[in-house]
Amino acid sequence: MSKNPQPILTVSAVRKVFGETEIIRGVDLELRDGQRHALIGPNGAGKSTLFHLISGHYAPDEGRIIFDGHEIQGASPEYINRLGLARSFQITNIFPKLSVFENLRIAVMRRHGLQNTLWRFMSSYANVREDTDRLLEQVRLQSRRDAIAGELSYSEQRSMEIAMALASEPKVILLDEPTAGMSHEETDYAIDLIKSATQGRSLLIVEHDMDAVFSLCDRISVLVYGQVIATGTPEEIRNNQKVKEAYLGEEFKV
Amino acid sequence: MKSNIWISLAVGTGLLLAFPALVSQPLVNAGIQMLIAALFACAFNLLCGQAGMLSFGHAAYFGIGTFATIHTMNAFGGAGLLPTPLMPLGGALIGLLTGGVAGWFATKRTGTYFAMITLALAELLHALAPHLKGVFGGEAGIYAMRMPAWGISFGSSIEVYYLTLAWVFVSLLLLYLFTLTPMGRLSLGLRENSHRLKFLGYDVHRLSVTVFAISAMFAGVAGGLQALHTESANYVLFEGHVSAAVVLNSYIGGVSAFLGPALGAVLMTFFGYAVSDLTRSWLLYQGLLFVLIMMFMPTGLIGVFKWLGTSRKTYGTAQLLPLICLGLSTGMILTAGVVFAVEMLQRVFSLDYRSMSALSPAAGWAPITLFGRDWLPNSIGTWIVPLSLLLVGVALTSQVKRLWRSLVDRVEHHRENSDAAIRRNER
Repeated sequence: MSKNPQPILTVSAVRKVFGETEIIRGVDLELRDGQRHALIGPNGAGKSTLFHLISGHYAPDEGRIIFDGHEIQGASPEYINRLGLARSFQITNIFPKLSVFENLRIAVMRRHGLQNTLWRFMSSYANVREDTDRLLEQVRLQSRRDAIAGELSYSEQRSMEIAMALASEPKVILLDEPTAGMSHEETDYAIDLIKSATQGRSLLIVEHDMDAVFSLCDRISVLVYGQVIATGTPEEIRNNQKVKEAYLGEEFKV
Repeated sequence: MKSNIWISLAVGTGLLLAFPALVSQPLVNAGIQMLIAALFACAFNLLCGQAGMLSFGHAAYFGIGTFATIHTMNAFGGAGLLPTPLMPLGGALIGLLTGGVAGWFATKRTGTYFAMITLALAELLHALAPHLKGVFGGEAGIYAMRMPAWGISFGSSIEVYYLTLAWVFVSLLLLYLFTLTPMGRLSLGLRENSHRLKFLGYDVHRLSVTVFAISAMFAGVAGGLQALHTESANYVLFEGHVSAAVVLNSYIGGVSAFLGPALGAVLMTFFGYAVSDLTRSWLLYQGLLFVLIMMFMPTGLIGVFKWLGTSRKTYGTAQLLPLICLGLSTGMILTAGVVFAVEMLQRVFSLDYRSMSALSPAAGWAPITLFGRDWLPNSIGTWIVPLSLLLVGVALTSQVKRLWRSLVDRVEHHRENSDAAIRRNER
């Protein structure tokens, strides 16, 4: 990998207003191909909103978002996903009453172009089954294959969501606080999983656990009150005076 | 478990095939109605139970299927567009098309708003139909005749019964096979979390419209069978109670199982047939039944079978049987009490009885004949009957509850003991 790969996702001068409040106030962000990029910032900084803007949940009021050569601001979520951008959600977002296998299979089916197929049985697609089983293995959920997804433990559900995001073989993955609410061991486990699962892809991740961020990511952007105040390597961010003042505060020691 | 299902399906099919030979003519007609209702409920459940879209206006597609089939039968001056056995295809096609159009609008929204749009569309049709004489025949409706085809006259109910059975059988099979296709699997995702589906790259609106149209198509087939059966169509088919009945039937049977709605529809149609001759309050009983099922067994009748299956394993048939018998007799006693009270009250407050009393006020309360006996509405003895039945029923209910709890406790206690024993042995 070259030192400075091309950007695969570029957010430029994006603004989003809800009613009277401007949540995203001109964000510029660049995710480089093959890198892991963390988005950090205090609560209410607009991290999730920015994810919603990139993934097509909301349309920005101003600015451009370019993904892999396509302008995607204001496009539909399904269009953006098909271009190769997959995401997870801050709050568990699964098919709760279906089995783990079925959850992942639905995620896999899209890549095989199975939305409108009415003339063949699902069971006849051996490749879909194999892909699904491979994903299960990748996130180490083989033993929970036939469990009802809603009955999994919280951290198992989060693992399954990572697998759902991976299922479409996306170029870019957006993970919104994948370790929120996990214990230390679970967090380590999940970060390890993310590290191996996102090998060779670009990752944009919102994460509060600083150890995890520093061990996982190539670059970090700091979002405060709807603006990116700094972007750089973990080392640069650690030593950035503005970041220390604005966000990390007194209790942050590295 | 698998073999159990195959055996019940085989027995069910055998019974359906033998049905006309076993029963009288009017019951064959009721049987046709039951089959049609079963197909309608399963078509509805594709949308409601599997794809999670609760439609309150499915009568529209059923009724449109009936009208379309009548027109198909009347085409070419009564010769018909298709041979008689294939006439419901007309209903299927028009059902599919209108379902596609209506579904395009309705599935723009989800949940309550979806239900409201489907309701509004059905009401629109209901209001519009009597004014469109050419298509819907105004208030009088339209008529057709079943023509002989393929060497069969289709003159008797028995022939219509077997034709209906064949259509219902094929349609249910297709509906079931649909659940095994990629699209069928995706429709489950639609029910569970359509929002997530969007972010997995699926065109949720298109998927919803397709499922809606397929559901409407099979509702149209059911309507078409209705046309073949009654040889007529009238705008009352679009009435709200038709839409309501299919919702109630499906939930009574159980929307979580494929054949649950069919079971509910068959039983409730039979209930309507059997009870509507006996009492004027049968709609009240139907409503009571629905409320009780939703309160005490929200998974429907199918849920009861599932519960029986698992409980038999956990507690053993020998333990369970006396409890179930006691429970059933309690239910019957309570039912008797309620029925007595309702029938008495209904008669006392009926127009006939009140005008009779008004004619001869001096005579006072005239006796009312019920269950082969005369009862005086103003005597305490009359009301003691339902009251004591209800009291006994309530007392027995708490007894059943107590016995059930002690059975559960006993089994759990036993299990804990054996777990402890296993742990001791391991040590």
